[in-house]
Amino acid sequence: LAELPPAARRLVEENDLDPKQIPGTGRDGRITKEDVVRFMKGETQP
Amino acid sequence: MANSYDVIVIGAGPAGYVAAIRCAQLGMTTALIDEFRYKDGKPQPGGTCLNVGCIPSKALLDSSEHYHKAREELQVHGITAKDVSIDVKKMIERKDKVVRDLTGGIHQLLKANKIDFKTGHGKLTSNSTVEFTPHEGAAEELKGEYIILATGSKPIDISAAPADEKSILTSNGALDMEEVPKRLGVIGAGVIGLEMGSVWNRLGSKVVLLEAQDEFLAPVDRQVSRMAQKAFKDQGLDIRLGCRVTDTKVGKQVSVHYEDKDGKHNMQVDKLIVSVGRRPNTDGLAADDVDLLLDERGFVHVDDECRTNLPNVYAVGDVVRGPMLAHKGSEEGVMVAELIAGHPGHINYDTIPWVIYTHPEIAWVGRTETQLKSAGIPYKSGTFNFAATGRARAMEESVGMVKVISHAETDRILGVHMVGASASELIAEAVVAMEFAGSAEDLARIIHAHPTLSEAVHEAALSVSKRAIHKAN
Repeated sequence: LAELPPAARRLVEENDLDPKQIPGTGRDGRITKEDVVRFMKGETQP
Repeated sequence: MANSYDVIVIGAGPAGYVAAIRCAQLGMTTALIDEFRYKDGKPQPGGTCLNVGCIPSKALLDSSEHYHKAREELQVHGITAKDVSIDVKKMIERKDKVVRDLTGGIHQLLKANKIDFKTGHGKLTSNSTVEFTPHEGAAEELKGEYIILATGSKPIDISAAPADEKSILTSNGALDMEEVPKRLGVIGAGVIGLEMGSVWNRLGSKVVLLEAQDEFLAPVDRQVSRMAQKAFKDQGLDIRLGCRVTDTKVGKQVSVHYEDKDGKHNMQVDKLIVSVGRRPNTDGLAADDVDLLLDERGFVHVDDECRTNLPNVYAVGDVVRGPMLAHKGSEEGVMVAELIAGHPGHINYDTIPWVIYTHPEIAWVGRTETQLKSAGIPYKSGTFNFAATGRARAMEESVGMVKVISHAETDRILGVHMVGASASELIAEAVVAMEFAGSAEDLARIIHAHPTLSEAVHEAALSVSKRAIHKAN
């Protein structure tokens, strides 16, 4: 979890998400806050 | 073979010399051709940026800032400096030394990387040959597996005010004035006009800037440009918008005729700087029978990866589309070198920072509210004023603000805009955040040292979600 950027970390913790399920579109596959927001809305494509 | 290379680069400015160094690092035999000669007649690498652009202008901005501070701004700290004076000749000499030292450094780097630095004119004669004409001696043909064009840009001249570099100056001449003109006119209140106007205003010139556009610094965020405009006005810069220069007459003084919405006007100045923009330098770049494609504005036409229409010929920097900024050209140079070497290369044109080195400085990256509105992208924004940060107050630098703009739904940062002391350095954090697809909340949750100016970035990011601590949200 510490490898997530701070805003994504907060969202994942608050919503009990599994980061492994979230496709990361950031540099080198990093999960951005945008990715988490889209994942929670059910959008998987960026 | 001394006249055959893996890569030939034409132009040794920030785009060309960086491309050449990166090519050499990647193991390619590289020639770098450049025809610039400094005012002492000696050829020098570095191009516009090092010789007559970024570096000399910053040298003069810093010197003039020190002078201005000593005269006007130290009293508030309880410091009295008596008989502060400026030796403009010495100031220019220091600037020249900075330039010489840095271009000397480039020379050393070229040597260390075994780059064949050739001084003279390079002309594309086919997609694998360049005619090199040295400053002295006969022309020779060089063969290159790949060729990179990096010939840069030059000042746009206007027929109403033809530059003679004595009374009517381009940005080049404006860097070499050896005495302070009583009255200085500047045509164009863009980056170069504002920086040069600031230098001479601080040294005592009465500076008038005539800008054709009705809006001040049109590409800049409105709130930021308004705060900057007020700061410049307070400093004594007379910025007149919506003014079209129609004619000039050079006598003992320069008589400048211009029109605005109220009619025709005339002003007398001792010197006039023309800084209305720069154009790509493609003069003598390609032989007549070489079918190098230019776009409708005269730039060398390239694709996203800086390929021209000719196989194995690339073009980078000011001679191609995109912002005319040194760091943009350098990154394109690196990208092209890596592409040629068979590596992936990519530039994110959305995260190129812009800086105007006035005082206060103006810096931004990404999009403005105006641009987002017209693109129909939903956004939210937060601002924070320097006046509410302890460090800015301690420095007596309370004029300034930071604005962070993020996507209304995903919170991804879309733009960061600032005016204030050290904005040129503060913008780097925003660029990094955007490169990593960061959100305003990311910036808001990152620890910023206290007391520092960077706290204004932190608080502006917090303010996006109305959680700024040191302001009423």
